[in-house]
Amino acid sequence: MRQVIQHTQKESNHMIYLKIENGKGHFLNESDQWIEIDQIGKEDLLSLLDKAISDEFEMDEFDADSLQNKAHQIIYKHLYQKFNELNENKSRFKDESEQLYKSAIEKYTEAIQNESNS
Amino acid sequence: MKKIDLHLHTKSSQYSDSAFVFSLPKLKEYVEKLSIDCIAVTNHNLFDLSQFNEISEELEITILPGIEINLEKGHLLLISENAELEDFESKCNQVESLITNESEFITVQKLKEIFIDLSRYLLIPHYEKTPIIRPEIIEQLKPHITSGEVTSAKKFKYCLKDSSSLVPVLFSDLRFTQHMTVFSPRQTFIDIDDTSLRAIKTCLMDKHKVFLHHSEGHRFFQVFENGQKLSTGLNVVLGERSSGKTYTLRTMAAMYDNVKHIKQFELLETDEEKDKKKFDELLTTKQSSVSEQFLKEFKEVVEDVVNIDRKENEKLIESFLSSLLKVAAEEEKKDVYSKCTLFNESKFIETSNDTLKQLVTATELLIDNTQYRTLIDSHISKKVLQELIVDLMKKYEEVQEKNLKVRWVNSLVINIQKELQSSTASEHIKDVDFYAILLEKEKLRKFENIATNIKSEKVIEKTDVRRFKIVASTRIFNGAQELLNKSGRRTTFSTAFNFYDSPIEYLDELKNIDRLAETEYYKYFVDVSYRILNEFDAEISGGERSEFNLLEKIQNAHHFDLLLVDEPESSFDNLFLKNEVNEQIRQISKTVPVIVVTHNNTVGASIKPDYILYTKKEIVSGKAVYKIFSGNPADPILKTVEGEEINNYNIMLNCLEAGDSAYTERKQSYDILKN
Repeated sequence: MRQVIQHTQKESNHMIYLKIENGKGHFLNESDQWIEIDQIGKEDLLSLLDKAISDEFEMDEFDADSLQNKAHQIIYKHLYQKFNELNENKSRFKDESEQLYKSAIEKYTEAIQNESNS
Repeated sequence: MKKIDLHLHTKSSQYSDSAFVFSLPKLKEYVEKLSIDCIAVTNHNLFDLSQFNEISEELEITILPGIEINLEKGHLLLISENAELEDFESKCNQVESLITNESEFITVQKLKEIFIDLSRYLLIPHYEKTPIIRPEIIEQLKPHITSGEVTSAKKFKYCLKDSSSLVPVLFSDLRFTQHMTVFSPRQTFIDIDDTSLRAIKTCLMDKHKVFLHHSEGHRFFQVFENGQKLSTGLNVVLGERSSGKTYTLRTMAAMYDNVKHIKQFELLETDEEKDKKKFDELLTTKQSSVSEQFLKEFKEVVEDVVNIDRKENEKLIESFLSSLLKVAAEEEKKDVYSKCTLFNESKFIETSNDTLKQLVTATELLIDNTQYRTLIDSHISKKVLQELIVDLMKKYEEVQEKNLKVRWVNSLVINIQKELQSSTASEHIKDVDFYAILLEKEKLRKFENIATNIKSEKVIEKTDVRRFKIVASTRIFNGAQELLNKSGRRTTFSTAFNFYDSPIEYLDELKNIDRLAETEYYKYFVDVSYRILNEFDAEISGGERSEFNLLEKIQNAHHFDLLLVDEPESSFDNLFLKNEVNEQIRQISKTVPVIVVTHNNTVGASIKPDYILYTKKEIVSGKAVYKIFSGNPADPILKTVEGEEINNYNIMLNCLEAGDSAYTERKQSYDILKN
């Protein structure tokens, strides 16, 4: 089963980022190469997160039986859970970060426009 | 002109007053002696109609029924027309039933419920008098409140001058008992012909219609019950030895609650060492704001580093290093778990966006400031600032978003790591936040520098106080005892003091001392001491210390209702009196009534008083009678209240120059010297 994280923008890419093959987990790195999941580092995770937010992020469903490598099982399970959760609220990072100045930005942007028009 | 006293007590309530037994004859004596035209009976939270009727029958002046109510933690006088007394009594009874102890009070709402139409009454709150009715409560009771009770001539004058103040009224607030010997001269004169409540109420709406004295406006006020008046400015009391000057002063002091009395010889030093110590302590307390100001930033630094745990940080680094070495040694033995990159992955560090927040606030200030608008606009347009602030905020959002993502990744990494690490016996590299540790180390290094620098002894502030100079200097602590004295606590500083020269270790030791608050650690690194120098930059002598004390006391009299100075010449030389004391006394007398007793011509004549009082003792039929003659300094004649007269010129010469012949003789001697 392949899990797809839906994205609202229709024109965005359909890409698979996490897959299970030959009893091992794999992830797609920045250079579009498939790397075994035990090699994944924090920078890779950050870039996957960016992809999950902006693209349609597809991944193979977690299946312990098809992952013979125990370490791969652990890592894949966590990634799958976490990216799955993210699916429920993809805009949370943006929403939370915009909380503080949202109305102020609107106010000043409007003021700039008014001044440009006058 | 009518003289009124609308605040006096004839019955004690169980809780509000020290119990007293009312004496109607005393009230009668008071009214007659002080020629009062109208009184109001205002007992605490009660009105006794039968007693009121009894008083009304006995006295021939206007008596108004009233009550002093505990209202919203203050006191309010509520005075009624002398009519419908049963109705008034029943309303007051409601108040009485609601207030059963001193701390209870009624609310404005309750007051309105009980008395219904407040416009029927005269309402006078405690104003410049405790316990005050707070301004917001007065506001709620407007327009029914136009006047407020004050406690002294000084406050009366202040309220008259201050346009936002209520119309001031001064009342005796006396409790009449059989044994009372003196009557307070605190009453108010009002410019009306009849003493009806309506007329009084109208009068108390206008500051031009209330006075301290029946004929002298606010320049004078009555000080004794016999009608003796005093200037609200500067009064000088003259008189020979044992003529009752000090007695007069003491009687005046007893009349008021808030009097500053600088007694004769009070400022003379008796034990120099003791006096100097006391003086230094006083100076340190008085000047402590200088020390607080100087140590303010250091205090913040100490508060910032006090929670840094050096030992814990060292332990963390050690455990990191040993885990790193172990992992390196076990490289060959790695299993599927420890081979994973995430097994030893460190965490992302979030970027602080405090600076961005500060920049946004600063730009916002530039945009919104109106005071310096033109100046700001002349350098940078509002539009540019608006564009800048939008960019800064967007940058903030960007950083914030990145941080949230990083947090998300970190939590994922931690969870995976935990599970991987628990699945293997392989050693993993301990995750240590080197950035935080380095930052703390740097903070400690800076703290050490600052603490060392702050301990170099130097002058930190010089303040000119008249001809003296207060010099504040830093000085290091010279022993554990000095630290102990500074703390004022029962503890010991001996171990800590061993580390006094190493700020970081010293701070660690301070943390180990019992009963020492964390917020006070900064005080034990350097002390601030104060010295007073004279105009030649030399340490002041004992005599100069007394001079400084006198001038300080005179200046501080601003907080009092009356300043009494008894023979300042006993302690000081003429030059100081003329140049310094006279000037200070004149200055203070513009706000506080001052009474100076003197024999000295420098004080008595050169100070240019507003009013002169001359005390004289006469033996009449074997008994001593004390008289007070008074008048303006330029009057040829001084008079007693009863009208007895005395020649002013003779008094001046007798009291200040030891008589006419001594004066002429002295003048001749000076002329000979001069020629």
